[in-house]
Amino acid sequence: MTVEKLRLIVEELPPELHSKVRSAKIRGNDLRLVTGIDDLASLAKHIHGVYQAPLVTMHATDDRAAEDCFKLYVVLSPRGMDAFVTIIAALEPRSQRFVSLTPQINEADWYEREVQDMFGLEAIGHPDPRPLVLYDDWPQGEHPLRKDFPLDRRPPRIKGEYSFTKVEGEGVYEIPVGPVHAGVIEPGHFRFSVAGEPIINLEVRLGYVHKGIEKISESTPYWRGIHLAERISGDNSVAHSTAYCQTVEALASAEVPERAEYIRTVMLELERIYNLIGDISGIALDTAFSVGAANGYLLRERALNLNECLTGSRLLRSVNVIGGVRKDLSANDREKTLSALVRLKLEFEDLVDLMVTSTSLLDRVETTGKLSTEMAVRLNVVGPVARASGVDRDVRRDHPYAAYDRLNFLVPRGAAGDVNARTRVKIDEVRESFSLIDQALDGMPSGPIRTVVENIPAGEMAMSLVESPRGELVHWILAGRERPYRHKIRDASFCNWLAMEEAVLGNIVPDFPLINKSFNLSYSGNDL
Amino acid sequence: MIVEVLQTILLVAIAPLITGIIRKVKAYLQSRTGPSVLQPYRDLRKLFSKGSVVSKDASWVFSITPYVCMSAILVAALLVPVVYARAFGFVGDLIVLIYLLSMMRFFMSLSALDTGSAFGGMGSSREMYISSIVEPTMLLSIFAMALVAGTTSLGDIADGVATNGWDLVAPTLLLAAAAFFIATLAENARVPFDNPATHLELTMIHEAMLLEYSGKQLALMEISSMTKLIIFLAILSNVFFPWGIATDLTVLSLAGGLLAFLMKVLVLAVLIAVIESAMAKMRLFRLPNILTVAFILSLLAVMSFYILGAT
Repeated sequence: MTVEKLRLIVEELPPELHSKVRSAKIRGNDLRLVTGIDDLASLAKHIHGVYQAPLVTMHATDDRAAEDCFKLYVVLSPRGMDAFVTIIAALEPRSQRFVSLTPQINEADWYEREVQDMFGLEAIGHPDPRPLVLYDDWPQGEHPLRKDFPLDRRPPRIKGEYSFTKVEGEGVYEIPVGPVHAGVIEPGHFRFSVAGEPIINLEVRLGYVHKGIEKISESTPYWRGIHLAERISGDNSVAHSTAYCQTVEALASAEVPERAEYIRTVMLELERIYNLIGDISGIALDTAFSVGAANGYLLRERALNLNECLTGSRLLRSVNVIGGVRKDLSANDREKTLSALVRLKLEFEDLVDLMVTSTSLLDRVETTGKLSTEMAVRLNVVGPVARASGVDRDVRRDHPYAAYDRLNFLVPRGAAGDVNARTRVKIDEVRESFSLIDQALDGMPSGPIRTVVENIPAGEMAMSLVESPRGELVHWILAGRERPYRHKIRDASFCNWLAMEEAVLGNIVPDFPLINKSFNLSYSGNDL
Repeated sequence: MIVEVLQTILLVAIAPLITGIIRKVKAYLQSRTGPSVLQPYRDLRKLFSKGSVVSKDASWVFSITPYVCMSAILVAALLVPVVYARAFGFVGDLIVLIYLLSMMRFFMSLSALDTGSAFGGMGSSREMYISSIVEPTMLLSIFAMALVAGTTSLGDIADGVATNGWDLVAPTLLLAAAAFFIATLAENARVPFDNPATHLELTMIHEAMLLEYSGKQLALMEISSMTKLIIFLAILSNVFFPWGIATDLTVLSLAGGLLAFLMKVLVLAVLIAVIESAMAKMRLFRLPNILTVAFILSLLAVMSFYILGAT
C-alpha cells in the first residue's frame, strides 16, 4: 500500500522533473530519489508543495574519501501516509556550493545555515547566511563535521562579532538578555528590539552549549551511542535513545520483541508525563501563581520518584539497549505503577481545576504569545506547540513506532495558538499519557525483552522519528564500520525556536518569560 | 522623646521579621516548610559582611543612593506612630512622609539608569509608570483621614481617631483604608503588581532597579525596602485603625500599644501572604486598572466625608 503510494509519487512527477531523477528506490517506507544538485531545489519544492510534505530533516555528508564530493539529503514526509521521501543530491566534485532551498521551502532556513557552518558548503541565495552554530570567535574555514577535521582539534580563537538585526526608529531600543540567565536554565542570548514595552523584533542566538554530539557519535560504537543519545537533551533521554535504537535496529533490519516495544511505550509516556507536568507548573510559576506552581512541582516530583522506582533513574536513563530494553517490568513494578498513577491522576485533576479556574492566571495566558496556524505551518513547528496552533500532527499516530499502533489515544489540538492553548494541549496530553500507560500495562505480552542485533551493514542508511514531549525528533544514521559514518540528530526544539521569534511580536517584554516557558524549548538539544 | 525614638528603632528592627513572616506563610500555603522567619536577618548580616562591586560606568549617584534611601526611610519612620500615638509630628506631617518616599523612589530610579544596564532602565520606567498613579492615591487616602481628624500630622490623626472611639468608623475610613491597602501592595512590589520572588529580570519592576547592587549597598537597599513595607503597614494599622495604640505614656498603655501594633501588623502580613498565594501577577498594562480603582476609592473617601456631613 505504502509502496504503491510512493511509486505513484515518482509516476506523478512532471516530465521535466521525472527526467532529472537519476534513480528511484524504495526501501521500507522510504522513497529515495537521487538527483543532480541543481535539480534538488525544484524536486524538493514539488514534493513539498504537492504532497504537503513538511521537511523532516536536511543535512549533508562528507563523501570526499569515496566519491570525491559532498552529498545533501532532504527528507520530506508526505501528508497522510506513513512514508518518507529522501532526495539525495551529490555536489559537483570539489564543489562547495549548492542552490539554497530556503526561498522555496521556508523551513529549510536553519538546516542550511547549519550545513554551511558544519560542512562549509555555501547555500547560494540563502536570505540569511550568518553563522548559526559556530560562534563569533571560531575561525573561518574550520568545519567540524568534515571528515578531515579531527575530533580532538581545538581551533584557535579569533576576534569576531555577530551582526544582529538592527531595528531603528524613534524610541526603539535594544535589550540584550543572556546568554547567562538568573536561575538554573540553559544559556541562550535573546536580543529584543522594543518600542517602550511592546516587542517589535526578537532575535534568538543559540549555540552556547554546542557539544559536538554528531561528531562524537561518528567515533562511538553503536552500543555506546545510546549513552550519548540520552544526553542530547537530558529531559528527553528516553525519546532520544529510543530514536537512536530504532534507527540502528532498522539498519540491521532487526525485529524488536513485542514486550520490549510495550515497555518502551510505557517509558516514553512516563517521560512525557513528568515533562509536561513540569511545563504546566512552570506556567503557574512564571505568572507568580505560587500555590499552583508548588502543587505542580510536587506532582512532577512524584512522577520522578515513580521513574526511579521502576528504572533506578529519575530521568529514565539507561532504559533502552539496541534490540530492546535493559530491564523487564515485573508484576510488582506493574502494581506500583498503577497505584502511583491512580493517585497522580486524581491530584493532576485537582491541579488542573486550580489553574483553569483562576481568573487572574487566565487573564495572563489568554491571547499571550499567539502563533497563527499559517505561521506554524510555514515554519514547520512540531509537537504540542504546533497542535495548540491547530496543526494536526503527531508522530505516534502518523508514523507509529514502539507499541503505539496497538493502543488507542487522541491527539489533542487547540486553535488559538496562545499560551493558554499550549497549556491546555499539554494538560490533555498528560491525560492521554495516563491512559496510554494503563493500556500498555494491560496489553503487554509476555516474552523476551531484547534481541541480539549484529551485522549492521556499512553504507546503509536509516531514520527514526519519535514524538518526544517537545515534539517530533529525528535520528538519521548512515552506517559506517561498527559506528555511524554520519549521525544526524534533529531535536524538536530546532524547529520551534524560530516560531518563538514570531510568537512574541507585539507582546510586551514582561510577558516574554511566560511565552518562552509555554514553548519550553531545549537549548542543548538544539545546539547539539 | 525617648519613646518616639525607641518606637522608630522597633519599627526598623522588626522590618526583616515581617518580611520573613510573609515568606513563611507563603511557604506554608505552598506546602513547603520554608526558611526560618529569621532568614532575612541572616541575609542582611551576610550582605553587610561582603564588599560591594560597583560598575566602572557608575557615577556618584549610584554610590550615594543606598544612603539616600536609607536616610529617607529612617526619617519617614520617625514620622509614623507605632506604639505611642505621638510621633515626631512637629518635624513633618504626612505630606513630608509622601515626599520622603518619592525622594527614595527618585534616587532608586536614577541609580538604576546610572549603570546603563538594560534591566535597570526597564525597572525605572515601569516604577515611574506605576508610581504616577500610586502616589496620588496614597496622598488622597491619607488626606481623607486628615479631613476626619482635622490635622495632617500622622500622630495627631492616630491620636484623634483612637480617642474618638468607634464613632469614626464611617465609609470614609473604610474606603480610604481599602485604597491605601492597594497602594501598599503596589508601592512595595507585591503580587499582583510585582513578584518579589522571581528571578526573571524581564518581568521585574522593583527588583530590576536593584540588580546592579551588591554587598553592603544591596543590604542597605534591602533593609530600606523592608522598612518601607512596615511603614506602610504601620500607617495602615495606626492611622486607619488606631484602636489600641498608646495615647499616654504609662507602662500599661505602652505595653498594650505594643501588643496591639504587633497583632495588627501580623494580621496584615498574613493577609498579604494569602493574596500573593491566591492570585497570579497581573499583566503590566492591566495595572492601571486596579490602581485607578484604588484612586477612585480614595476619591470617594474624601467625597463621602463631605456628603455624609463633617461633624
